[in-house]
Amino acid sequence: MPFDHDTVVGFSKSFGLIYLVVLSVICLAWTYWPSNKKGFDEAAKMPVLEEDDRPWR
Amino acid sequence: MFKFHYRLERSAIGLVAFIILVASIGGFIEIAPLFTIDETVEKAEDMRVFTPLEVAGRNIYIREGCYACHSQMIRTLRDEVDRYGPYSLAVESQYDHPQLWGSKRTGPDLARLGNKYSDSWHTAHLYNPRDLVPQSKMPAYRWLLRDQLRTDDLGNQLAALRAVGVPYTDEQIANAARDAYGQANPDSAEAPGVAERYGEATNIRAFDGNQGPLTDMDALVAYLQMLGTLTDAAFTTETAEAE
Amino acid sequence: MLADFTRAERVGALLILGGLVVVGLAMAIGGRGDILGVHGWLVAGLSLAFFFGAIRQFDLPEPSAARLSEYYDAPTRAGIILTLIWGVIGMAAGFWVAALLAWPDLTFDVAWLSFGRLRPIHTSGVIFGFGGNALIATSLHVLQRTTRARLPDALSPWFVLLGYNLFCIVAASGYLIGVTQSKEYAEPEWYADIWLVVVWVTYFAIYMRTLARRKEPHIYVANWYYMAFILVVAILHIVNNLAVPVSLGSAKSFSLFAGVQDAMTQWWYGHNAVAFFLTAGFLGMMYYYLPKRANRPIFSYRMSIISFWGITFMYMWAGSHHLHYTALPHWVQTLGMAFSVVLLVPSWASAGNALLTLNGAWHKVRDDAVLRFMALAAIFYGITTFEGSFMAIRAVNSLSHYTDWTIGHVHAGALGWVAMITFGSLYSIIPGMFKKERLYSQKLVEVHFWLALSGTVIYVFAMWNSGVIQGLMWRTYDESGTLTYSFLDSLEAMHPYYIVRAFGGLLFVLGAATALYNTIMTIRMPAEVEPDRGQDLPAEPALQAGE
Repeated sequence: MPFDHDTVVGFSKSFGLIYLVVLSVICLAWTYWPSNKKGFDEAAKMPVLEEDDRPWR
Repeated sequence: MFKFHYRLERSAIGLVAFIILVASIGGFIEIAPLFTIDETVEKAEDMRVFTPLEVAGRNIYIREGCYACHSQMIRTLRDEVDRYGPYSLAVESQYDHPQLWGSKRTGPDLARLGNKYSDSWHTAHLYNPRDLVPQSKMPAYRWLLRDQLRTDDLGNQLAALRAVGVPYTDEQIANAARDAYGQANPDSAEAPGVAERYGEATNIRAFDGNQGPLTDMDALVAYLQMLGTLTDAAFTTETAEAE
Repeated sequence: MLADFTRAERVGALLILGGLVVVGLAMAIGGRGDILGVHGWLVAGLSLAFFFGAIRQFDLPEPSAARLSEYYDAPTRAGIILTLIWGVIGMAAGFWVAALLAWPDLTFDVAWLSFGRLRPIHTSGVIFGFGGNALIATSLHVLQRTTRARLPDALSPWFVLLGYNLFCIVAASGYLIGVTQSKEYAEPEWYADIWLVVVWVTYFAIYMRTLARRKEPHIYVANWYYMAFILVVAILHIVNNLAVPVSLGSAKSFSLFAGVQDAMTQWWYGHNAVAFFLTAGFLGMMYYYLPKRANRPIFSYRMSIISFWGITFMYMWAGSHHLHYTALPHWVQTLGMAFSVVLLVPSWASAGNALLTLNGAWHKVRDDAVLRFMALAAIFYGITTFEGSFMAIRAVNSLSHYTDWTIGHVHAGALGWVAMITFGSLYSIIPGMFKKERLYSQKLVEVHFWLALSGTVIYVFAMWNSGVIQGLMWRTYDESGTLTYSFLDSLEAMHPYYIVRAFGGLLFVLGAATALYNTIMTIRMPAEVEPDRGQDLPAEPALQAGE
């Protein structure tokens, strides 16, 4: 395979698109996966929890 | 599959690796092909390198922050071509380390400034822009006429430029300081060597109006008078398109 | 400072400072006859002063073990003050360069007072001095609270904070004496760049070491943003600053890249400095301090994750919209444009998330100027990102590029978003950090808010007007097909706007100065009475009645 400009550009255009679509799907699936909901809801409370303002150990 | 996410979320290293992966590929895909672009960029046989005096002038242009108000990139738009001249080609800045395309035009574009005005106009304009252009917003650069130009490190500068890819010859590097002096002193013994090493099209003149010791003004005006004249490629491309 | 250090850390501090003195002297000697020598003396002098300061405190008693049950906030306290000082310096420089554009003869024939040398003091002073210190100070605060872990040691956070400020000082003083690479927002020369890498690696190490000892398995989203900021800025900084110095004794270097490759690398850096320095880092700030102040969890945690990954992957592609219609290949321009437009989705998700968090707490926004700063920041973030996507469209960009419109856009983001979220966040932690019940004056916060808002609006409207007028004048043709206006005509038309802009900037600086004053006065207020449980009890057991 000749490693010329057109090849590199072609690879960028095709692989770049696949890469983006795949990453978006992974990200969306993970975020909205039902079993992950509980963990996220708890995480959201982190800044507002009324705990002692000191390290845990 | 979701075991992976579970771990990613809980492991700081995983998060770091994922951020790097996600973020760096985008830039790589856009930038990497530009390094094979040499194959498709216009070839310009007549493209010459900067003379040592022009390199020194370019350094002053950078030092004073001229790039903050002046671009050196004429876009492919009708009004820009009508106002400033043929649009800029990639080849014209191929020896610009770094490029000075600029991002703002508080003052006009300078890509084709070379030989548009006289040396004395430039010297007077840099000395006090408002003497020639009353509405000008440009600072008065009077110190350029006062300050002596430093030439002792010009050889090192050309050598460093060669290290990043500008094709300077050993002879050009060895004679850098001498050529800088010669280019602004047409009557001196150093002058003929400049044309020999950089081509007959090189401007060899007393840029600040005085022969003798070099000032920062000599260097900056030499640089400004060279802008857009390193190659005729932009002009020939335009005629080819017109035909 | 040294009182918080263990003996080993004190030795470490002396070794680092001693090493810096040696490096400074080497630069001074190697760079004699070059501007590098000036910076050598500066580095050696500053390090020597700190070295002697450290020796004087060397024999202080070691800190007690009780410190480990507290968060380590001293670097954050110092960082807050440095943020405000750099803010006033950077914004005052901005006001001055704005005045220079209206009245250029204010240069007074002094090289270092000229526009070209002062402008990077404004940009670096505000982005790196003000923004960078704010990010370091708040990230160390947020990191400890969300992991519920104390910073791993006392030496490294101080090294990061002071080392970073050394970078800022070298950068700013360099511009005045003519040291610059000319790459916008990456102006500092090679030796300052190398130093920043050392500081940055330490900063990253603090993050990882603290996260390793966290209580909650889940890492709170604010930390993701701070981490993206640290990591991606490192990548951008290293790649864009690759250069070959003229010699080891010279301040001057030549970029490894030239022409079109350099332009793309530069704007890949430039745009992502906006994305990861001025957006991701400050979003981290917003995702912690805004819910905290409003006392409500973020509206949708999931949306914050989606916007995080959206911003992280898409911003990297958008840089080429700075190069529309130039010699950059067309497909790269198109790609940059497309991604810039899509970026609106995660950007508005963040802005919307912030505002929806406040939904139901608008009375707090009305009454509390601190929360109002944050709410306004979210609004400006939404406006600016919309404008940014719009300006990245090639047809719009043909008009807006090279004009003041870009300057207006940048300041809508910098003043409206970055500075407002910073001021809001800092005000919210200053009383707690300095162990006071409240700020010195709530009224001054109110004054600051209105100064900041009116300054921003005046500035941005002036630049929108001048930018659009400029762009239109440049492309207007008359019936005979020739350009109607000369460049000078357009320059003349800008004059009134430049005066208005300087006035808007002045209001904003006055606001920042108010914040600095308010903070100093807060620190000088009498200390809050510690709720010491033993205090109210008599020293001797009281006699029981009847004894």
